[in-house]
Amino acid sequence: MSGILFLEQGLTAAQAMGWMQLFLAFAIAQQSLEHLALGGVALRDRVTFVSRLLLCLGLAFGLGGGWPVWGLWGLGLAMLWRYQGPYNGGSDKMTMLILSCLSLAHLAPTVFWQEMALSYLAVQLLLSYFVSGWVKVFNPEWRSGSALRDVFRFSAYPVSEALRGLAERRRFLWIMGWAVILFELVFPLALLNPIALKLALLGAAGFHLSNACFFGLNRFFWIWLCAYPALIWFQDRIF
Amino acid sequence: MLRLISLFLPTVIPSWRFFNTVAPSPRIEFRLIEPGQSAAHAVGGWQEDRPRPQHLRLWQMLQRMLWNPQWNEQLYLFSCAERLIEAPSQHSIDEINQRVARLLPQGAQELQFRLVFLSREGVRVVKLVEYESRPVPLAQIQEGPI
Repeated sequence: MSGILFLEQGLTAAQAMGWMQLFLAFAIAQQSLEHLALGGVALRDRVTFVSRLLLCLGLAFGLGGGWPVWGLWGLGLAMLWRYQGPYNGGSDKMTMLILSCLSLAHLAPTVFWQEMALSYLAVQLLLSYFVSGWVKVFNPEWRSGSALRDVFRFSAYPVSEALRGLAERRRFLWIMGWAVILFELVFPLALLNPIALKLALLGAAGFHLSNACFFGLNRFFWIWLCAYPALIWFQDRIF
Repeated sequence: MLRLISLFLPTVIPSWRFFNTVAPSPRIEFRLIEPGQSAAHAVGGWQEDRPRPQHLRLWQMLQRMLWNPQWNEQLYLFSCAERLIEAPSQHSIDEINQRVARLLPQGAQELQFRLVFLSREGVRVVKLVEYESRPVPLAQIQEGPI
């Protein structure tokens, strides 16, 4: 019974921002430590990543109001310039999107504009699943299962050579491909019910976990989780 | 300023078209050439930069959830390879040279890399060399930080 009550619970805007900032502090610290661990890192980059770590501490402990968020946003911009684009594709884009929305939420002069910033993030999170499913369902190679076979067969992503063997398991990949497409397409419907949303987010986290295991996309897992509180707040606010 | 805006905008207005199509997939290969010699004096042939392991155990995959710096750097190098073909820039060349050189033992040879793209034609996977870099002294790259 208490489990169901927990699943039905929403979040206030302040709670959502608090959880997002805590998760974000962990995710950005993890990214920064990975950069620093590479060795031979230039002084300007070391300064960037150590600064990010310090700002993450402020973010995690709720120090400095909006300043840690604004600082991380500024450093995110500097990193886009340094690497002439995202270092880690979609996960860096999501990092900047969350930081941009949180920065605006902290700058917002009224509750209305704060909610607009959080809503934008929630809608983008929904779109990140729905658009991915939409483009796949119109692609005959995804519908036949050959696209997912190609991912395993020759793409740069599988983390070991042994995983390439999955390309031969056609029926399994066809089922998995359609499971992903259908999940991504129906994901927005989960907004209609708070319990369905929590279960959908759990399923989505499992999807990111499998991508992290098969394709080494660990940063995607952590950074997508950071945006989930915005969607839980949004569902509670709208429905 | 316009360049910075063009880098920033896709992060706040993302397309989210993940794996829309499975595009030709890049690999980075390199070789070492004896100084002052032609490419015919390469020490060994072309070899893949950071070949992936044959097997990974489940616990190793789970460990990589928290700690995966080398693989994330490799994904960045693949992005640089794709950018180098779409919009050639010295930045992409330098990033690939420096990050390939960092993992090699110090030496007096010259480093050259090439970009190979794998794609499917019918039922066959074909390999196409799309770019070959100008050889640069390995020691010179290894002196500088990445």
